[in-house]
Formats: sequence, structure tokens, C-alpha cells
Amino acid sequence: MSFKSAVITFPGSNCDRDALCYLKDLTKGEVHNIWHEETSLPKVDLVILPGGFSFGDYLRSGAMASKSKIIDEVVKHANDNRYLLGICNGFQILTEIGLLEGALIRNKKLKFLGKNCFIKKKFKNNFNLSIKDNQILQIPVAHNEGNFYCDTETLNLLKNNEQIAFEYCKGEFSNTEENINGSIEAIAGITNKKKNVLGMMPHPERAYSDFHQSQDGRLIIESLIS
Amino acid sequence: MNEELILQHGLTLDEFHVIRKYLNRDLSIEELGIFSAMWNEHCCYKTSKKWLKKLPTDNEIVIQGPGENAGVIDLQDNDGIAFKIESHNHPSYIEPFNGSATGVGGILRDIFTMGARPIATLDSIRFGLIETEKTKYLLNGVVHGIGHYGNCIGIPNIGGECEFESTYDFNNLVNAMAVGHVQKDKIFYSKPKSIGGLIVYIGSKTGKDGIHGASMASDVFSEEDEDEKRPSVQVGDPFMEKLLMEGCLELMSSGLIESMQDMGAAGITSSSVEMASKGNVGVYINLDKVPLRQPLSAYEILLSESQERMLAVIDKKNNHKVREILQKWQIDYEVIGEITDTKRVVFESNNKKVVDLPVEIIVDDAPEYDREFYIPRKRKNKDFDFSKIKLEDMITNLLTNLNYLDKSWVFDQYDSTVMGDTIREPGQSSGIVKIHGTQKVIGASTDCNPLYLRINPYEGMKYTVAESYRNLIACNINPLAITNNLNFASPLDPNIMGELVLSIHGLKTAAVKFNTPIVSGNVSLYNQTNEIPIKPTPVIGMVGSNMDLNKINTNKFCEIGNKILILGKQLKKNCSPYLLQDQKIAFNICEFNDLDVLDLDFEKKIANCVLELSDLKCIMSCNDISRGGIFSALLKMQYKDMGFRVKVPDPIDLFCEYSAGYVIEIRSKDFEEVTSFLTKKGAEYLKIGEIVKEGIEINSKKFDYFDIMNKYRNDFEKIIS
Repeated sequence: MSFKSAVITFPGSNCDRDALCYLKDLTKGEVHNIWHEETSLPKVDLVILPGGFSFGDYLRSGAMASKSKIIDEVVKHANDNRYLLGICNGFQILTEIGLLEGALIRNKKLKFLGKNCFIKKKFKNNFNLSIKDNQILQIPVAHNEGNFYCDTETLNLLKNNEQIAFEYCKGEFSNTEENINGSIEAIAGITNKKKNVLGMMPHPERAYSDFHQSQDGRLIIESLIS
Repeated sequence: MNEELILQHGLTLDEFHVIRKYLNRDLSIEELGIFSAMWNEHCCYKTSKKWLKKLPTDNEIVIQGPGENAGVIDLQDNDGIAFKIESHNHPSYIEPFNGSATGVGGILRDIFTMGARPIATLDSIRFGLIETEKTKYLLNGVVHGIGHYGNCIGIPNIGGECEFESTYDFNNLVNAMAVGHVQKDKIFYSKPKSIGGLIVYIGSKTGKDGIHGASMASDVFSEEDEDEKRPSVQVGDPFMEKLLMEGCLELMSSGLIESMQDMGAAGITSSSVEMASKGNVGVYINLDKVPLRQPLSAYEILLSESQERMLAVIDKKNNHKVREILQKWQIDYEVIGEITDTKRVVFESNNKKVVDLPVEIIVDDAPEYDREFYIPRKRKNKDFDFSKIKLEDMITNLLTNLNYLDKSWVFDQYDSTVMGDTIREPGQSSGIVKIHGTQKVIGASTDCNPLYLRINPYEGMKYTVAESYRNLIACNINPLAITNNLNFASPLDPNIMGELVLSIHGLKTAAVKFNTPIVSGNVSLYNQTNEIPIKPTPVIGMVGSNMDLNKINTNKFCEIGNKILILGKQLKKNCSPYLLQDQKIAFNICEFNDLDVLDLDFEKKIANCVLELSDLKCIMSCNDISRGGIFSALLKMQYKDMGFRVKVPDPIDLFCEYSAGYVIEIRSKDFEEVTSFLTKKGAEYLKIGEIVKEGIEINSKKFDYFDIMNKYRNDFEKIIS
């Protein structure tokens, strides 16, 4: 059975095309592009909320997009136990909707950060099945507000429920700090309790093709398909 | 009209009398505003035109040369590449964040106005000495502004340059370049097609920002001007630009518009006048229809430089469809006028014609000056004393000079991988992106050697063009065409004018030899404050291609044990300007010896060797040799745990500049093949050493690898904080 997926485009999304290519190339299945004003969503296995600056990130990153017409459908999709992946701005939108815990605040150094980063998986879920324990993935980040924050109570919940999917780490020979943006416990991506919704700051859709510097981003789609 | 008012508008009294005589009547204040906007250097190139005409602008691959919003070259099949560089120097000094952000916004609009989707940006930024708080403020603001705009709209920043020199203490330079991809049969031009076509306004509402921006950019600064001129700096909104770009590209691909103009410098005035002039038609515009952010007078509407606005011409029958598409993107849209057959520019406000001028007097009769210029005097030969120079000190001199340190602090604030097609990121000799859905890649580099240019503007310009050329060649990118940004001080000084004239001449010589025509460009004059002129800084943006992305070279070391070879010819110690300056041997500009004549045929010969060896897959990595010589090139090539061991007759040679200089890494097993190839081509080479694990060794002397690499990578941030 072929894997079906969709990417939502908001005004200001700028990684929607990248996400569409990522899905087309790796799933080989049907891929839909959905405009934020739509009120219905085709029945698909995976929905991606892509990176970018939805509505200019005015007010607060992801805040306005979380009130878009399509969001009701996205929530229904997640409640149906199907996969939902928010990348970068998509992660921010997921926390604004309330599908994921915590918030993404400004990077520790108060500067945009666009570079390769290194992550490894923390707790197992369907998005990281194909990734080995302690395997270091090289995937680019590009964000101004990627510093994951939550209170201690929530952090304990995230740990107890094994909701932390990825954490930043140091790469071999790399000059990069272990925790690039100051996130609590170096968290790079979390899931919901049911583990069918993942939000992550790194961009796997920029690390999958032969000509990319790394192909580690494939592993996420491969995990879902396997 | 009183003299003071005329002078305030940046016109000379002579210029005013030409207009007055032609019209044989008095001008309205709005009309005076129009001449102020259209007759300044920024818009009409009155000083540089005579010399710019001499540049080569055409060859078999040029689709569009200078004169449109951007130049376009042919990349086979149906692929065209549109690109241009533009300055935002003055605004970025007054308000660094918004000044640089709107510089990026403006150049991106120039690209998508042509129907091209922007696929990369680069920038060339120059600041004064970092020791002053002002420079730190400017650096932070400019980098933040460039990053903010490009990141938000989602175009990767793939490279550029960032230098520090006291000559820019009061005049920092911000030149932004953009590259776009366009289908050759879908290029849009600013020339309107039919009389009666509707002139439509698309984009942000008009406000008071940027009034007189273009004429400010054509003025000399004094220190107290800064606060007073701040309101002339435009404010950018990259989110609006993203919507505008998507909306316009959708309109163009749907075939709903005839022509388009960006409302850039001098806003609605310059875009509508240019439209009329290109089409040899007239325009009628009702200013009451212009969407406004706040109540404005006709004069203010005409001169506002509010950002993210376009002017387009459409067929009446498409009005409804255009409105529908733009509504989806939440963009303001208004029909404000029409194309007429009068060959006059008419603006109406409150049922009154406030401007009624023949296009001819504004455009064709714009002044063109043949300013006096001096040729620099011949330099005396001087022998410098190198006997006290120690290798350790030379290395320290580089590692404490911002210009040599790794500039990740800058590049990391830019999104360089968005769009998913980036092959080489900033920090390499050239930035490289793939054309979406193909195997073709585009490489681009921006460069300038202001010190060379001050010593000898003609030869210095040849070296500058050659440096861009080498940056592309090192990656196995075939150089194709040039965009340029001529940043100079006041041309009213014949010495400065001489630098301008001679460097354009040098640009011509090099561009003809390399067959890289100049297809677009920009001139920024009057970069001086308190009568201190900047060094001549004509920045070159060179674009090239390779049809096969698998063939391009990396600039980073590949494997321990591989051999290091040097190609090219070392400049003599006495004639290696950056060596003399940065190693603190020469201090005053009059001390420097003249530049060696750059042999462009030799440049081509060595470049062809590099390209051929790359295609034979004999080159594992390659970097060009520029400021800081072989040593600096090797530092930039360092990767993972790899270092180098080299032996040279004189360690100072490692820091000298080169003509046609390249460092290449080859496998031991290819050594015979490579060297016999080079011998056959008559290209001299020097085997200087090999790649080693975690070490830096020069003439058997070992240096602390980790200490040097740590300083190289991390000290930039320490010094600027």
C-alpha cells in the first residue's frame, strides 16, 4: 500500500516546496499541497507543517498559523492516530496549537542560527525506528526561536512518558557546541503522549538527497514507512 | 523658484536652467521632485555613464545586458539565470538593520521582476576598524538585517565577503547580490506592450519612508547628518515581500501581465518614467488611487521609497483575474493609471495635473558629465627589509586580524540551506546552488581588493576580476558573466575620478579576456565623510556554471596522505601588497611598490589546467590563493582532523599573494599523471607537502595545530564581542 502524505502551506511558509520534494522522493506515494484556507484534508498517512515564517512570525512564531482554517482538520488528523510532523516553524505551530508541550523561545545567543547540527535519538518512537541508539545524525538547523523550554513538571512528564525524540549532541571533529540553542536538556524534538505527533527544529528535508551534505534526514521517512 | 529649494533637491543651478529653458515655464514642486529623483547619480549615472558605455556587455550567452532590472544569461535548454548586485551603503550606515534588510529586499525584487525565482543571495560587506563601538554596532545591525530579510523570505545566502579596514570607519559598504532562475521563454521586461494598458499598483501601501532616499544616496556625508537623515531610510517587511514574490510569480506564470517594474529607488516616479521611456509611450497616473498608509501629499507619494511595491501593466480584460490572485496572497492591488500615446508623464492629484512632462526631458536629456580626472603618479621602487620577520609572528599577525579569521559568526546568522538545493555554503571560495530539478549548478562569488585598487586602479581591477574568476575555477565552475558594484568616494575630486575611470578600464580588459561580459550593475559614489574618501571598492560579482553537479570540487581537504601542489606565480615579496600591509612592513599607502602587471593569458592557461584536471577527477580539493597567500589558503582548507606539512625555500613565500594561484590536493597515485599533464601544458607547479593528521608543520618546525585552528575558528567572535 502506498504511503500518502500532505504538506500545509501558510502565507510565509518557505520550506513547503522542500518538504514536498522530500516526501515525493522518499515515499514515492501521493503527496498533496494544502493551502491554509482549505477546510478539508485528504485522508493521508502523514501531514507535515513545514518551516518558514508563517504570517511573518508576527505576534509570536506560529501563533497566527495555529488559528488558520485548516488547523481543525490537522487536529482531527492527529486525533485519528495518524502521523503529524512539524519541522522548525511547524514545531512552533504545534506548540501553539497545544498538540505538543512546551514552547520555543529565542536562541540562547539571541541570534539566528543557520548551520549543520548533530542530533541523536533519545526515546524510541515510530519516527526514529530506523535510527540506531547513539547514532549521530547531521542535519541543518535554521531558526531564531528554537530554544525549547518547559517547566520542570512538564519536563518530568516528557521524560516519564518517553516523549523526547531527539537531543542535540556534539559531532565528531565538529566545532559546534553540544547544545546549540540552549534548549532544556538539549531537546531537539518531542512527540505527544501517543507518539504520533513529532515536532523538531532540525530540517530533515534539507539532508536526504545525494548532493546534500548529509543524507541522515531520510531515516525519519524510512522509519515511518518501514 | 528660489535657488535654495533647487539646491536642496540636489540639482545644480545649471541643471535647473536646462530644464527651465526646455519647458519654457516654471516647474511645480512635484516636477522639481521628479528631476531631483531622476537626475541624481543613483538613477541616471551622470558621472559614470560615459565610462560604463565602454564595458563589454554582450556575447553569445547574454540574453539581457544592463538596462533592465537585472541581467540574464543563457544556461542552455530553457534555463536562464538573472542576477544583479546593488548597494545600500548610505542607509546601512544611518540605520544598519533596516538599511541592509531593504538592500536585500530591493535586489530580490529586481530578480523576480524579470519573472525569475530568486535562488541565492550573496553579499559584500565592509566595515571600519573593529576597535570602535560604532563598527560593532554596524556589523551586528547589518548582519542581522541581511539575515532577517533573506531568512524570512526563504532564499539561501550562499556566500560573499566581509572585510574590516579603517577606510570604511565612517562609510561602511553593504552590497547585496541576488541570483534567480527563469525560463528563457518567460522573461519579463519593463517595456509595456500596448497603448491603453492599465497601470496597476501591487504591494504594500505607500508611506513616508524613504522620501528622497535616492538623492541622499548621491550625497556626501557629514557626521551630524546621521540623525537628520534617518527618516530617509526605508523600512522593510520580508513577509510582505514573500507574499509579493509569490503573487507576482503566479501572475507572470499565468500570463496575466504585460510588463513589470519594481518601485525601488525614487519609487513610483522612477518606475513609471522608466516604463514610459522603455516603451516610447506616455503614462497617466492618478495619485489619488495610490494605496496609502497615512495621508500624503502628491509630492510625498511621488518620492516615497516605501518597500515591497510593484508597478505592472495589464490588459484591461485581465483586471478581475489579477485581483483574484492577489487577494489570495492578501496583497493590495489598485488600478492607478494607463499607458498613453502622448510620450508624456502625467500625474494627477485632486483633479489637477501636478506633473506634465515630456519623457524625453527627464530621461534622454538627463545630464551626462565628463569630469576631470587625474592618472596616479608613477610609484618609486622601494626595497623592504624582511630580515627581522619571524614565521611565528607572521602566523600571529594573521590570526589576530579579523580579515583572516573564519567568519562563521556572520554566515551562521544566514539561512544557507533553505530551498534544499545548496551545494556549497558560505565560507568556501564560491557559493554553489543547483538549478531545481536539474543536474546543473550555478556558482557565484563577490570580491574586491581595495588596497590593490588604491595602488594601481587599472591593474588592481584586473586582480579583482581575476580573484572572482579563480574563486569559481577552484570549484570547477566555468565563469560566465559579471555584475559589478562600483563604490567610490566623490567623483568631484579628479583623483577619485581617475580611480573610477581606470578601474572601469581594467574591468573592461579583464572581462574581454575572460569572455565574461558585464550584464548588470550599480554605481555608488560620494562614499566619503568629513572629506575622508574610501578606498576605491568596485565589487565584482561573478557567476558561472557546471552542467554536472558531480564534477565540482570541494575546498576542503579530503584525505590524510594526499599531496599538496601549488599552481601559479608568486608575486614578489616587495610587490605583494597585503603581505606588506598585514605583516606590518608597509604602513603608508605611498610606500607601496606598483603592482606587477597581471598576465591574463597566464590566468586563463592555469585556470584551464585546473578545469581539465578537475574533469579528470584528479583534483581532490582545490582553493585559490589570495590575501594571506598559501598559508591562509591552507587554513581555509582544513577539515575534520586534517592538517598540513609543507616545505618551502623561504617561509615568507607562504604569505605572498599570487597570480593564477591555486592550492590543489591530489592522491599519490595520480602524482605522475598530474605532473606530466602540467608539464605538457607548460604550467609550472610546486610540490610543497602533504596532508597530515592533526598537525601543522612548516620547514620541519611543528606548530600547535589545536591552538591555531581554535584561534582561526573562534577568535572572530571574541574580537567583535
